Amino acid sequence: MANARLLVKRLKAVRNIRKITRTMELIATSRFKKAMDRATEAAEYTKKISEIVGDLGRASLSFAHPLLEKRTEEKRSILLVLTSNRGLCGGYNASVLRQTVAHVREMKAKNVECALEVSGKRGIKFLNFQKYPLAASYTNFEDQPAFAQVNELGTRYAEDFIAGRIDRLDVAYTRFESSSRQIAVVESLLPLSSLSTGTDTAKDSGIEYEFLPSAQEVLEEIVPAAFRAKLFKCFLDAAVSEQIARMVAMKGATENADEMAGSLKQQYNRARQAGITSELAEIIGGAAALE
Amino acid sequence: MADLRLVLVTPEKTLFDRPVASIRVPLFDGSAGFYPGRAPLVGRLGVGELRLTDGNGVSESYFVDGGFVQVKGAQVSVLTNAAVAASEISRKESAAKLEEARATRAISEEERNVAVKKLQRARALLRMASKD
Repeated sequence: MANARLLVKRLKAVRNIRKITRTMELIATSRFKKAMDRATEAAEYTKKISEIVGDLGRASLSFAHPLLEKRTEEKRSILLVLTSNRGLCGGYNASVLRQTVAHVREMKAKNVECALEVSGKRGIKFLNFQKYPLAASYTNFEDQPAFAQVNELGTRYAEDFIAGRIDRLDVAYTRFESSSRQIAVVESLLPLSSLSTGTDTAKDSGIEYEFLPSAQEVLEEIVPAAFRAKLFKCFLDAAVSEQIARMVAMKGATENADEMAGSLKQQYNRARQAGITSELAEIIGGAAALE
Repeated sequence: MADLRLVLVTPEKTLFDRPVASIRVPLFDGSAGFYPGRAPLVGRLGVGELRLTDGNGVSESYFVDGGFVQVKGAQVSVLTNAAVAASEISRKESAAKLEEARATRAISEEERNVAVKKLQRARALLRMASKD
């Protein structure tokens, strides 16, 4: 027979955990909404950038920029890994890190030197444990990454790329497709494959623009801006996806705790009833013996 | 009168989206003003003050840090890395930034360019600072 007191203790523990997971779920939900709002606001900027790029397309100039050039020989690369600082978010970090490891192996096979830069304590811990050398690690990107911080990184990468210190830049992060679908991907950011960050840039506005100082110079300025916007979008996507992953994980945990509490309660009731029955049997047995 | 609409966007959020009467933006080589009916234009921005006047003649200022301006019909879009309302710039902080920029040592050409940019930015900020 199960010990009734022990069961009561376990039941209490499960209920307490349920309270915590439930709270975390609610927090993740509100954070997700905030992160989502930020991502939508940021989308406005990228939309405008691609609009101007579309306008530039009409000016019929050569889209040549150091950031767009594909190197014939790739020797050094940087992989930026975006993970979360905190755990308890299901497979979020694991899937990004799986992609990371696969990418590092692929780069090794191609004989490309790959420097790892990791954001998020979870990723740093894992990669340190696996004894991957980290070129840089950041823990300052929380669920609301600031553009100024991302900008610093972006400027450094762009400079390194132009100076030829790196030949490509990839980012491993969780891409946000919809609120029910996020995928861990490794995306190549440098060289920039296309300037259009949106989809409908081909749309011709049919307006003749005056370019100040010149279309070429505007282009030179807008390519880095487009790159930074793209990098920033990666961070925002990662932040949104993290909150969704946590929300889902915590929802599952709460449901499990509910189920567990139910079965424990049942076990406890059975144990209690069994105790009462056996006591009764003893009393009746004792009374029968006296007669 | 044809109206003019200013949309001020940074990568983080849309700061401003309202009809205005006139706008002055800091282009890369000096100020440029836009009134309703401006021909389409795409321009590179410098660092400095964006000033707008609404229908009642009340003006507002923002500090913008580079980027682009696009004039398309009645809409003026300003894309910038960072924008701060003039009323939120603190004199003390920007003075400290200017000091910091002055103290920056530059050895190579690249470093000098960075330092000059930093200095210009700090000066523009300080010029616009309105509170202590």
